[in-house]
Amino acid sequence: MKTTILKPFGGGLLALAVALATQSAQAASEAEKIIQDNCLACHSEQGESQWSRISHQRKTPEGWLMTIARMQVMHGLKISDEDRRTLVKYLADRQGLAPSETEGARYALERRLNTSESFDSQNFTEMCARCHSGARVMLQRRPASEWEHLVHFHLGQWPTTEFQALARDRDWLDLALNKMVPELAETLPMDSAAWEQWQQQAEAPVAGEWTLAGHMPGKGAFNARMSVTSAQGEDEYSLTLTGQYADGSALKGKGQAVVYTGYEWRANVEIDGQVMRQVFALKEGQLSGRMFLRDKDEVGADVVAARDAAGVSHILALQPAYIKAGSEADITIVGSGLSGLPVLGKGVDVIEVISESSSLIKVRARAAGDASGVMTPSVGSTEGGRFAVYDRIASVKVVPEFAVARVGGNGGSTPKVEARFEAEAWAAGADGKSGTADDYRIGMVPATWSVAPFDEVAEADRDVHFSGRMNSATGVFTPAAAGPNPERRMMTNNAGNLKVQATVQDGADTHSAEGQMIVTVQRWNNPPIP
Amino acid sequence: MDKKRLSSLMPAAALVLGTALSGSVLAKGPALEEGHEYMVVANYPNNMHVIDLQSDSLYKSCELPDAFGPGVTQMAPDGKTAYILNNHYEDIYGVNLDNCEVTFHAAMSLQQNERTKAIFSFAISADGKELYAVQNPTMLNRDHYRVQPSRLAVYDTSAGLNAKPVRTFPSPRQVTVMQTGEDGTLYMAGAEIYKVDVKTGDVDVAIPSRSWQRPLYAPPDVLNAWPIQSPSKDFTILYTTAKFQDETYNLDTADWIYGFMNVNLETGETQTTDFGPITEIYFSGILSPKDPNIVYGVLNRLAKYDIEKKELVAAAELDHSYYCIASNHEGSKIYLAGTFNDVAVYDADTLEKLGNIPLPGGDMAISTSQVFIR
Ligand code: HEC
Ligand code: HEC
Repeated sequence: MKTTILKPFGGGLLALAVALATQSAQAASEAEKIIQDNCLACHSEQGESQWSRISHQRKTPEGWLMTIARMQVMHGLKISDEDRRTLVKYLADRQGLAPSETEGARYALERRLNTSESFDSQNFTEMCARCHSGARVMLQRRPASEWEHLVHFHLGQWPTTEFQALARDRDWLDLALNKMVPELAETLPMDSAAWEQWQQQAEAPVAGEWTLAGHMPGKGAFNARMSVTSAQGEDEYSLTLTGQYADGSALKGKGQAVVYTGYEWRANVEIDGQVMRQVFALKEGQLSGRMFLRDKDEVGADVVAARDAAGVSHILALQPAYIKAGSEADITIVGSGLSGLPVLGKGVDVIEVISESSSLIKVRARAAGDASGVMTPSVGSTEGGRFAVYDRIASVKVVPEFAVARVGGNGGSTPKVEARFEAEAWAAGADGKSGTADDYRIGMVPATWSVAPFDEVAEADRDVHFSGRMNSATGVFTPAAAGPNPERRMMTNNAGNLKVQATVQDGADTHSAEGQMIVTVQRWNNPPIP
Repeated sequence: MDKKRLSSLMPAAALVLGTALSGSVLAKGPALEEGHEYMVVANYPNNMHVIDLQSDSLYKSCELPDAFGPGVTQMAPDGKTAYILNNHYEDIYGVNLDNCEVTFHAAMSLQQNERTKAIFSFAISADGKELYAVQNPTMLNRDHYRVQPSRLAVYDTSAGLNAKPVRTFPSPRQVTVMQTGEDGTLYMAGAEIYKVDVKTGDVDVAIPSRSWQRPLYAPPDVLNAWPIQSPSKDFTILYTTAKFQDETYNLDTADWIYGFMNVNLETGETQTTDFGPITEIYFSGILSPKDPNIVYGVLNRLAKYDIEKKELVAAAELDHSYYCIASNHEGSKIYLAGTFNDVAVYDADTLEKLGNIPLPGGDMAISTSQVFIR
């Protein structure tokens, strides 16, 4: 993504609003001219600002980007990067999705590539979610005629589609046209009340000061302040980020953001020479989503953020978010507009306020020996966040339970894809029994990590030896190099099937937990929506 | 089953692509010798190789026009013309192996804006006069595509370099490999193993596959990219299936079974026969020309089954995966092709390795090898 030179926007609130409105009309006519000039060799005009195919679909900014990129790659469309950006913005604003229409599928935008999908419709799973994510489909809305075009495009472009496993056992085209098209038009329709209402919504403010709280597997919790100022283009912003990780290391960066469809925040922030991408949704004065390395998206953090606004206060997170009964610890409360007395919950005493600001309160806390349960802390009259008090860890889970790592490098164009694991501790709850309804999550705890063969085949093929290395302290697995390995049976590559083992020490108790990791070949293409 | 190894095959194969010889090195070579046994197979970037099966060495190589892929071959009954589906599944070429001249060419797309592909689906009539292809056309309209019904196109093999169908008929979709019977019947593998009257286009079921009614059996899964013209004139199609213990249809206790459907192309006789439990995947299989009770399969290993006993009787570890299997007419040697750029030779009885025949050029990928007598 290229960086444009950004000028802070001057003027008062009123001037800003007027400017945005006029810019909007300007941007629209600019985008429409780009369509006239670039798309009508193949698409046709259907009345004012209406074009064949183009005007009959709604999707996310990433979805529009993929479509236009396909026009370039498959159909020879010539368009500059800048014009393409203008079009993506115009189309995502005009024919986007309402926030509620992206719910349940945002993991694809946030590039959580280890998400295991499951859908109620077996037809959908087998017909439309076996080559790419089902989320790619869930993040689109079309009328039946456009879903039908899409089926014809798929089979016409990839004629082997109907010959593959889970296709050659059925009358694929008939099923796609006569079952899937009606099902898709019904569940993912072009016209929706949610979209109608969203378009009436007043624009939410973005420029200002924000507090961020996040958690990155392999690194831990962090918090930061983010300062956002309007930049020159429509819905464009510049930002600076200043904060720190729980381990004390600094988090500092600068970048640009664009807000699409009134809520889809996309930013690139340069941190320590690396670009981190923010994919957030703006909702009720908060941003939430994921921030990840643009060129290594398995490295990322869950993030929530709140904007400073007069008379508004939020508690975003507690870091760490748990304490052991009968112990003392430093706890940081992250939020916005914080003022007043910090209270962590029943049986937990704040014995000292170490430092205090409207966005961060650092306290020394002591949990009573008999304290237990999940607390909702408060600062003054503001409640929020989650704080767990536990006497002992009852069980541990490996998160994610199943992950994919990919070999890479070795002179090839595709880098390695790591897998990152965390150990999630659980308490038994009041009944003292693990595996019952009153169990509660404590949080991510330090663990010792290792890998083992998943089955006999993996054992015989020495996958543990060939497939890569697990960092025993961080839970980060670095896969081996790509390409055929002459040392392996059948000259195969360094693929593997591994058990991921975590050992967690809790006083005298040792807990162990297991997950699974497939180490496989490179992803040969890496589209914006998997 | 070893999914991991399967998925790792393709990229591994692609990496070896760098080794192609330049085309000009390849000579037109000598004519084939009457009565001799040969094998033909194609590889990247544009080669068709003829291997002498007396000496198990490369006899000659012909250059092919246009783009490679998939390299499905069919030998004419005269043992002189090799047909190949290439150019991204869109064109069929006939090559005179004596002088490497292209004598037949059918671009399967019949109109402007039509893009037509055959997915491994073509065959030559028993008398060599006609070529049959099941074609999957798509209309590429200005701003949308429309998939058209599949069709069976019949070509006259003497039509030359701008061959057009002499007849076309509607065809079921999802048809892959095809072979012709001595009596002129066309057999094609799709949802069922169809038999087609090439004069009228009438389609019948020769062997039920997706619709088979075998009590306690799940419908078979059939993967077929290699239309092997076997010396025994068998059209053999491997399947995998599950056989349930009882009417509860519990997959956990079911037996997983390999089998084959077969059409005897001389008699038209058909059979559906299980030959063993699934312990590994085979991409292609062939019946022994000398012992109809033996079937071979290949992918990561070369395996040999006793059909009656439903037992694996021998297996050979391979240097790498091979996709396509062939046998000499005597049934004494097994040839493994596809994937990389060497053909491996095995003793058909002991499965002992006899040697490798390296080929100039790159991967054979999913090309079909055919054994024939000139
Ligand atoms: C050279 C011809 C050509 C040009 C130029 C072209 N398109 Fe297309 N477009 C096509 C074809 C062909 C299809 C149908 C096949 C497909 O979906 O890729 C299509 C389909 C589409 C679709 C439907 C995609 C879907 O997923 O169903 C959209 C939206 C679209 N084009 C937008 C555009 C836009 C916007 C432009 C200009 C920036 C453009 N196209 C320029 C040829 C073109
Ligand atoms: C054989 C594999 C395969 C299957 C099955 C498949 N897709 Fe796709 N689909 C693709 C590929 C590849 C692309 C990427 C096209 C591109 O590069 O833009 C794609 C793209 C898409 C897109 C994005 C198109 C756009 O430009 O907006 C949607 C939506 C989609 N598929 C929906 C579906 C639906 C619905 C089904 C089931 C009827 C389905 N897919 C089944 C392979 C598949």
